[in-house]
Amino acid sequence: MAKQLKKWQGWLLFGGSMVVVFILGLLVSSLMERRAEVVSVFNNKRTVFEDAIVAQNEKFKADYPREYNTWSMTEDTSFESKYNGSEEVDVLEQRPEMVILWAGYAFSRHYNTPRGHKHALEDMRKILRTGNPGIDGDADMQPATCWTCKGPDVPRMMRELGNGVDQFEPGNFYHKRWSELGAEEVNTIGCSDCHDARTMELRPARPALYEAWERAGKDVNKATHQEMRSLVCAQCHTEYYFVKGTDYLMFPQDKGMTLEDAEAYYDEIGFYDYIHPLSKTPILKAQHPGYEVALQGIHGQRGVSCADCHMPYMSEGGVKFTDHHIMSPLANIDRTCQTCHRQDAETLRQNVYERQDKCTEIRNRAEKELATAHIEAKFAIDNGATDAEMKPIQDLLRKSQWRWDYAIASHGATFHAPQEVTRLLSLSVDFAQQARLAIAKVCAKHGFIGDIPMPDISTKAKAQQYIGLDMPKLQDKKDRFLQEVVPTWLEEAKAKGKLLEE
Amino acid sequence: MKALGKITNLFSCRQKIFLLVVAGVICGLGGLFLYLLRAHTYIADDPSACVNCHIMTPYYATWSHSSHGRDATCNDCHVPHQNLAMKYGFKAMDGLKHVAYFVTHSERQAIMAEEMSAEVIMDNCIRCHRQLNQEFVKTGRMGYSEQMREGGKVCWDCHRNVPHGGMNSLSSTPNAEGVTPLPPSPVPNWLQNLMNK
Repeated sequence: MAKQLKKWQGWLLFGGSMVVVFILGLLVSSLMERRAEVVSVFNNKRTVFEDAIVAQNEKFKADYPREYNTWSMTEDTSFESKYNGSEEVDVLEQRPEMVILWAGYAFSRHYNTPRGHKHALEDMRKILRTGNPGIDGDADMQPATCWTCKGPDVPRMMRELGNGVDQFEPGNFYHKRWSELGAEEVNTIGCSDCHDARTMELRPARPALYEAWERAGKDVNKATHQEMRSLVCAQCHTEYYFVKGTDYLMFPQDKGMTLEDAEAYYDEIGFYDYIHPLSKTPILKAQHPGYEVALQGIHGQRGVSCADCHMPYMSEGGVKFTDHHIMSPLANIDRTCQTCHRQDAETLRQNVYERQDKCTEIRNRAEKELATAHIEAKFAIDNGATDAEMKPIQDLLRKSQWRWDYAIASHGATFHAPQEVTRLLSLSVDFAQQARLAIAKVCAKHGFIGDIPMPDISTKAKAQQYIGLDMPKLQDKKDRFLQEVVPTWLEEAKAKGKLLEE
Repeated sequence: MKALGKITNLFSCRQKIFLLVVAGVICGLGGLFLYLLRAHTYIADDPSACVNCHIMTPYYATWSHSSHGRDATCNDCHVPHQNLAMKYGFKAMDGLKHVAYFVTHSERQAIMAEEMSAEVIMDNCIRCHRQLNQEFVKTGRMGYSEQMREGGKVCWDCHRNVPHGGMNSLSSTPNAEGVTPLPPSPVPNWLQNLMNK
């Protein structure tokens, strides 16, 4: 090799290596393009299901990775918000008055803020409201109807209890006791609850919605795609009741979708969920009328679907898909609110909080008045008030509690329709105060004048003690139920291939 | 040149060969990066340059169907026009930011103008619509920064659909790829032909 490098040699070396690298780079580009084809190959591969209902969610993982992965994220409980983040919060601890309002009903035992769909089964088994069948000879306290919204094993079982092919028999399902289906209901809320597994078309899997629509002269199957993006939610997030005796699941939508329509329906059939042990009022328990309340709000009125905000579209890798991590839209303002609204994220968040704050302010008043009214009514009864004297008071309490419960039971109501929620809660306060006024008159008639003595219900424990609940005993039995009974359910399901191993 | 001579004398022949190759590799990679970036397209005002990154597709599609799609380009609104230095300075800064977002996958699902960008856009609204807004009607006499100071409104607070439509999302026009001039493969034809033989 020459000691001295000539000028042209220098340029050749420099230029040569430059050209070589550039061309190598182009080859790499070409290679990367071919590598990217793997994605298309993958996207075009599909397991074709023959059956509309495939209960094991894991079977969808390979073909729908984006949807499956985002759905899996409903396990996450780290999102915090001013009201109802994704973590579990003991509501009775925060609001002991609710123990009084739900006295005589399982809700006074245990009531938490909701978590993601992936926790549905776990939370249902551990909640004290489902009792502890099989422990110390205790029987079921709930019918199998309680499972209805807890996963794709439900439509599967309704079919198995029918003719096993295409005939659903929901009546046979609802007729069973809760623990009878413990080893069947093992896959949490997932794909087949909303999709036809053969085509992935949206299709609510539960019969109650179809039945309710049919009675109201509507057909779910004729709903538009945009309506379906709410109806798959509305098959569960709605007000319902169990028919006394058969535990058949029904939606009180025959007369319409408002609170007054449902109330008229219930009054007509003389329905009540339980008799309040303090005031002897036949109470209507509202069960999360999320869909109905959302219809009353401005977003619902403008045709915005549940999925538009709770399952926003995303673009990733040039592919548009629906985020299946269903949660508060406040967690992703950049792809929920800001799709339509131009304000900055913090402004929008504060707009939501303001509505929630104002609704909560009046909610606090309603709960105080209503709990006091129940306790005062008990005092009146204990001091000789007659049934005839109590009847109008109980009517007022029933109206008041139904409005309060309807307003608060669907978790997002204070944002979905703040004007409807404040209307309902202010009516609730009004009815409760009318009741208290009437109670004062009745008490005076029976010789009592002055403030009716109030028990100490300042904490959840004190309130539960006041209504006569033995919480340590209930919790102990539940713990043993979770250790002794639930594992046998899961083992049985795994042995039969109904629950896939992790 | 003398200084260069001095520096080159510091290295032995082997070192020089090594350094020249390294310099060639660096320049080659740099050139490749600019080529894949399609850097030459950024000098002019053709809107197709903005869809070099496919995530801009919905914004191109909504603009091309809007009233502004006939006479105004992306640059007419999105870069300042006071002078060439400001124009290219802003373009370079904004462009590099976009490259950084693009390659790190950190784009928002609904792209929104940042503060500096908003100022440029509104001042450009005024630049073109001055006569209409100052002579014929008496709006449009305040620029963006004055409006912000006074707590007033910006143009798009009322003209909400101008020019990108009412929906702002990377997913808003999922089928627009076919009508948008997305960039061709960076692998040149001669190389593709060579490889296909």
